[in-house]
Amino acid sequence: MTLKKTLSNRFWLILLGVIVAGSALAAWLLLSRVPTGSIAAIYLDGELVERIDLAAVTESYTRTYTGKSGITDVVEVARGKIRVKEADCPDQVCVHQGWIETGVVPVVCLPNALVIQIEDGSAEPEIDGAVG
Amino acid sequence: MKRPLALSLAVLLLLSGCSSTEESTTIFAMDTVMTLTAYGSHAREGLSAAEAEINRLEKTLSVTREDSEVWAIDHSAGAPVTVGTDTAALLNAAAALGDRTGGALDVTLYPVVKAWGFTTGDYRIPDAEELADLLTRVDDHAVHMDGDTVTLPAGMELDFGALAKGYAGEQCASLLKEAGVTSAILNLGGNVQTVGAKPDGSPWRVAVQDPEGESEDYVGWLELTDEAAVTSGGYQRYFEENGVRYWHIIDPDTGAPARSGLLSATIVGKSGTACDGLSTGLFVLGPEKALDCWRQSDDFEAVLIGEDHTVQITAGLADRFTLREDSGYTLRIVEE
Amino acid sequence: MKQTKRLTLCALLTAIALTIFVAEAQIPPVVPVPGMKLGLANIVTVYAMFALGPGDTLMILLCRIFLGSLFAGGSTFLYSLAGGLLCYLSMLLFRKILTEKQLWVCGAIGAIFHNLGQMGAAILIARTPQLVLYLPVLLITGVIAGAFTGLGAQLLLARLGRRIP
Repeated sequence: MTLKKTLSNRFWLILLGVIVAGSALAAWLLLSRVPTGSIAAIYLDGELVERIDLAAVTESYTRTYTGKSGITDVVEVARGKIRVKEADCPDQVCVHQGWIETGVVPVVCLPNALVIQIEDGSAEPEIDGAVG
Repeated sequence: MKRPLALSLAVLLLLSGCSSTEESTTIFAMDTVMTLTAYGSHAREGLSAAEAEINRLEKTLSVTREDSEVWAIDHSAGAPVTVGTDTAALLNAAAALGDRTGGALDVTLYPVVKAWGFTTGDYRIPDAEELADLLTRVDDHAVHMDGDTVTLPAGMELDFGALAKGYAGEQCASLLKEAGVTSAILNLGGNVQTVGAKPDGSPWRVAVQDPEGESEDYVGWLELTDEAAVTSGGYQRYFEENGVRYWHIIDPDTGAPARSGLLSATIVGKSGTACDGLSTGLFVLGPEKALDCWRQSDDFEAVLIGEDHTVQITAGLADRFTLREDSGYTLRIVEE
Repeated sequence: MKQTKRLTLCALLTAIALTIFVAEAQIPPVVPVPGMKLGLANIVTVYAMFALGPGDTLMILLCRIFLGSLFAGGSTFLYSLAGGLLCYLSMLLFRKILTEKQLWVCGAIGAIFHNLGQMGAAILIARTPQLVLYLPVLLITGVIAGAFTGLGAQLLLARLGRRIP
């Protein structure tokens, strides 16, 4: 007969409570350190493909991104906000997320490996492209 | 219930989308990410044509695809191969640029590039004996063209890695213009090709990447109108062993990475193909010979970033290049 | 228990888990967070772990993930697999120190590791490190949902009893 060491229910309750509290703290910290920038950085397959200054947008427009997956995302850019308008990915999580205006959380279309993240941007001259 | 409202909103959105003139598409081709942006009412059709052209060129020019013309040439064992206009044009361009750069640009370097492992990722350092042997298979003058037939001696292999993206950009620009587009900017994995100026008439602002920084860092920016800009630099692809960096731009004289004192060479000009080929050739040549080449030419300008942390720009770019504050580099303008 | 009886039971449980999984996948997500779900199919996994043992549980889990990705998921197979396996391993470790009245703990722990595995795989495969910003909220909801599914398995076990001879 093996002696089974067990821990009390209270122990587990406290442990899980600590995990939840810790996550809540982390979430609170993230929310309180919201990046104040308005530059939306768009990554496709892990690489930065575009940076858009959302504050400088006058008229809304859309851009499409198709990565190695073959899935297409239509991203809508408006003044101060950005979202995935349409996507032909199966779960549509990215579309349901709607607009983001701050960098608290990114918009991710996982099947297409697309990430839109609003970052801090220093006052840079408007660059249209980069060679390198 | 809500359907008619949603529908009319959608129609309104669509209509407003038609009047907003920017169109953009990002694709994956030639082993890299490419972003094409065009403006105006013909943007959509222009971009479709450009995208189709890029895919077509990839099929024709890829050195790894078994159905490409380059593959056919590389596996011809010395027999003549009939090629299409693109391959012929690239071979002619390669020959001309090879002569202009004194052989620094050589499209027959493929066996050497493979030996270093840059095509597979299994990096290694070939020894002097192996390099000497490989170099006997390198000679761009051995490529014989007769009309639309190419003959490459057995054992030699060519690839257009140093020219393909520049050529693709050039072709796409033509197609966009044919479609009626007057303003576009194409970024083909780091190669930039512009059509006209921005919609408001001002030149395109194109940043030049800092060879020693992250991919978002730049040393300054160029103002381009209806031209191409291409950069070649060791930092683009390399491996390190025992603290020494070995990069993918090979000097045809030594068979080893070109160490000419340059971190990168950016060429600006009307022809994307020439810019692409010259950027590789001038990187190999090094600053002094590169500037000599420039003095003898009239179809390009250059931004040469050296290991000594200077950015040398040719006189024609004096009022089209701005060095970034606190970039850590010193600017020098080279007169004729 | 005879082999056929055991096999039939496993097959039944797999079918149940698969049904729950596919049904849950049909519900449109309330919150647009990638990877957030109730994870109800884990009731079967937790129950099986304590009623049948690790070997059969692994079989049921793998079948459910594989078939589930065929019927419901698109590109999510690898992520489900990573999450499921890490969840399984964590339950394998913790079951030794949990009693039959503590399956709710097992559910919560399994959920934590499922989220970690799934997110880890997503970050590595799709190269989207920014996903980690969602980890706090996923852990909180995961622990709560996992505790409830674990509780469900616990009640099930109490009602049906063990099946190991």
